Amino acid sequence: MYSGQQKPLLLNYTLISVFLILFLSIFKLQIIESTKYTTIAEKNFVRIKTLFPIRGEIYDRKYRAIVLNKPSYNLYISLNKIQDRKQVTEFISQNFDLSLDEINKIIYDNRFRLYKDVLIVQNISFGKMVKISEQMNYYPSLSLKSEKIRHYLYNNHFTGYTGRINENEYTKYKEQGYSINSYIGKSGLEKYYEDLLRGKNGYQLLQVDASGQNLQFFKHNLDKPPVNGTSMILTIDNDLQYYISSIFPKEKNGAIVVMDVKTGGILAYVSKPDFNQNIFSENLTTEQWNDIINDPAKPMLDRIIHGTYPPASVFKLIMATLALEDEVINEKTKLTRCEGGMWFGNRYFKCWWEKGHGRLNVLDAIKYSCDVFFYDLSTQFSLEQINNFTKENMLTIRTGVDLPGERNGFFPTRKWYKDNYGKYVGIIGHKVNLAIGQGEVLVTPLQICAYYAALGNNGKWIKPHLLTKTITGTESNYIQPEIRQLPVSQKNMALIQKSLFNAVNESYGTGVAASLSNVSVFGKTGSAENHMGKKTHSWFAGYARQDEFEIAFVVFLENAGHGGSISAPIARKIIQYYYNLEKS
Amino acid sequence: MREFDWVTLLLLVMLLTCGIIAIYSASTTQIGNDFQTENYYLKQIIWIIIAFIITFLIIRTPYSVIEIMIPPAYIISIMLLIIVLFMPEIKGSQRWIPLGLFNFQPSELAKLTTILLVTKLISKPHITNWQIISRSFIIFLIPIILIFLEPDLGTSLCLIVSFFVILTASDISAFYIILIISPLISIIASFSLIIFIIYILILIYILFKTNLDKIIIGFAVVLNTFFFLITPFIWNSLKEYQQNRILTFIDPMRDPFGAGYQIIQSRIAIGSGGFWGKGFLMGTQKNLNFLPEHHTDFIFSVIGEEFGFLGCAIILLIYFLFLYRIVRKINMLKRKEFRFAAIGILAYLTFQIFINIGMNIGIVPTTGIPLPFISYGGSNLLINILAIGLVLKFLNERSIFE
Repeated sequence: MYSGQQKPLLLNYTLISVFLILFLSIFKLQIIESTKYTTIAEKNFVRIKTLFPIRGEIYDRKYRAIVLNKPSYNLYISLNKIQDRKQVTEFISQNFDLSLDEINKIIYDNRFRLYKDVLIVQNISFGKMVKISEQMNYYPSLSLKSEKIRHYLYNNHFTGYTGRINENEYTKYKEQGYSINSYIGKSGLEKYYEDLLRGKNGYQLLQVDASGQNLQFFKHNLDKPPVNGTSMILTIDNDLQYYISSIFPKEKNGAIVVMDVKTGGILAYVSKPDFNQNIFSENLTTEQWNDIINDPAKPMLDRIIHGTYPPASVFKLIMATLALEDEVINEKTKLTRCEGGMWFGNRYFKCWWEKGHGRLNVLDAIKYSCDVFFYDLSTQFSLEQINNFTKENMLTIRTGVDLPGERNGFFPTRKWYKDNYGKYVGIIGHKVNLAIGQGEVLVTPLQICAYYAALGNNGKWIKPHLLTKTITGTESNYIQPEIRQLPVSQKNMALIQKSLFNAVNESYGTGVAASLSNVSVFGKTGSAENHMGKKTHSWFAGYARQDEFEIAFVVFLENAGHGGSISAPIARKIIQYYYNLEKS
Repeated sequence: MREFDWVTLLLLVMLLTCGIIAIYSASTTQIGNDFQTENYYLKQIIWIIIAFIITFLIIRTPYSVIEIMIPPAYIISIMLLIIVLFMPEIKGSQRWIPLGLFNFQPSELAKLTTILLVTKLISKPHITNWQIISRSFIIFLIPIILIFLEPDLGTSLCLIVSFFVILTASDISAFYIILIISPLISIIASFSLIIFIIYILILIYILFKTNLDKIIIGFAVVLNTFFFLITPFIWNSLKEYQQNRILTFIDPMRDPFGAGYQIIQSRIAIGSGGFWGKGFLMGTQKNLNFLPEHHTDFIFSVIGEEFGFLGCAIILLIYFLFLYRIVRKINMLKRKEFRFAAIGILAYLTFQIFINIGMNIGIVPTTGIPLPFISYGGSNLLINILAIGLVLKFLNERSIFE
């Protein structure tokens, strides 16, 4: 075995052999093969060229375009080819709307990307391009490239928009093949389906020397072609979308959604005011940006899924079905006489109809939207019961629509009241308000639309969605939406449907302004008091049926007035337009 | 006290100076006629000063005090290694604890404390072979697994190498070392039946020569056969991308858009340096795509390009003289734990140098290991200087125990 004396010898030999191996390898590389590598280094032969995919386009249900790609001319600078930095920066500054400081900042930020082309100016007009292309020869570091940018055919909130990747996004996603010049989905479908729309980068390995000789560092041809993005067919109907945009009351903010009851597909998705998404693919100035974000009407807010509002009377169906399901009432039960209001302890809660509705059963209470009936019902249930039942009906909970950042809405709990109003808060008064959809309860217009679609579909709730089919090359894939059953029996469902029909089609119903002679319209109005303004938010939600076509809709307008007088007539126009469209 | 080894210290200072120059160049970019330098070289100088102050204090501390601090230091390093797994990812791994001004890398501390603790434990008198193996195995295994999880393959490998070298240097019989290493060879040999049979025959021959108990030889054969049989199963159960990752590690040229590309660019940089090099700051290849690693793991490619074969040879010579001076004196260390610790520290320094330069010139797989004393990096630099300080202290204290 080893003695103590031999071991250091072993160490000696190991050390000597390690350094000998390194020395000989370096000798081979720097002395024997030096010429070869010097040539390669001078010409910079071995390079990877990234081949970017074409982003998928977006079409409506009848294969008409919503988002397309269009060409754009961009100016790039390659830092390693700069000969005289001052000269180049001055040339750019003279020809384009960029200060020397801005150009130098771009160069400084990209100083470690010497061998990559860095974007300096985008969307150069054709005239400008012709003008500068003559002088381009003097500046080998500059190059013009034709690329594709997004073109949105109309303003909307569902497609979202793409923009240049920012430094944060780049650090986060560069592993996935994004370059510093890439576009990335910033909101809407463009963000939600970024992975599908984008496609996959391809790579090409350039390892050929000046005489066309393959340098053969890598034995095989390992080039990867890019995989273009998936194109998408949406459930949206462009005609309906355009029509609703055109009849949307001027100067009003709000949201209108139309859904196909049988499939859950969203036919129209209009949130107003909106903005032109194309400005984000062009040279957006700071002023333009400030105008948009400082606009008090918040044009970038998608009111359909990012806005949450008190549902008011459109919420009353939740209370009615809960009471029917729990057998607290049946279709004949009449509750407290409505004399224009009701006392709870020392507080008087008013009905919207000051003269009073008298004693009503559930059918008429919905038809006339009598508040007192629902005030009375609220005493029969605990806050948790109402909360749970609301959530089981997919209200105040995300629908799961294929868009990013959807909001839950809100339903208060006992704990929430205690945290916000103190330990001894009286729950009863708050519950009375919640029963008519006022107080702290908040929903999104999309939740209401999906709920009324489910009522029209005998309790079958289908997840609202926009994407129906993807197309990759020649293959297409249909998307199957999620389905669930609302906790309402068929008998009670029939009763609720009847009440919604009566509300529109019987005299003195709150929704008569939406009635049509040739289409069966079902609906419920709502006028939500709120802190945003004096006038109430105007709601009208429901569904309409003619032959095999059945659509659900929600018309919501911020601070516009009463649901029956403002929203219901708009819904009527939309329904009429839709059925004329289907017939033709 | 004997006189301090000033020559070794001088060699160390030379290496550090080379490092500062190389970092200055690596973090300088040339755009047209414009030069811009990041301040990494200044940070490196500050780190060196801090490292020397700490090392000076430790050298001045009596070893009896240091000895008491070793087990708690080991436990603290293990805890830090656990904490670091909950830290946010930086460049795809969790190696650093952010401390505001700088990021601390606990695996570097763990390297030193593990070696010191093991050598302390296995140097006790009347210790059996089995105790040496089991103790050092457990103490090494914990940090190795934790560091591997970060993931930091390079530092894990460093510890594994130190483990085997310390075992070899210790008083246990060679049989045990063969027994521990043999299953690893079985795993590699399992890809060919013929090679495996030849290997097993050689193993049996060596074991018979050692006149050991037949039961133990039988055990060794069974163990090796077990690993031989199980490896293909494990390999086939891996997902394709996992197999690819391992294959790419062994042969980076399989992945021309990733690891292979870096190595090719590094080879071009060093190869194009030629004999004299292109001159300070004159390198053209250092600004290629893999630049973010240039002042750390690929610093040698900058030296190779700008200072040529001459510069590389000088660096190798300084390294060699530096390590060789210490190796020559190790035998004079009569106190076992000093000897083992010095050998363990030398082993991992040598391994780091070999792997890093080997990676830069494309003869070993790519692992993220910095070049000792030259690469930019606070924790690594601090611990390496501290480790050398300890070795010099051991050499200095030898008289007391003679």
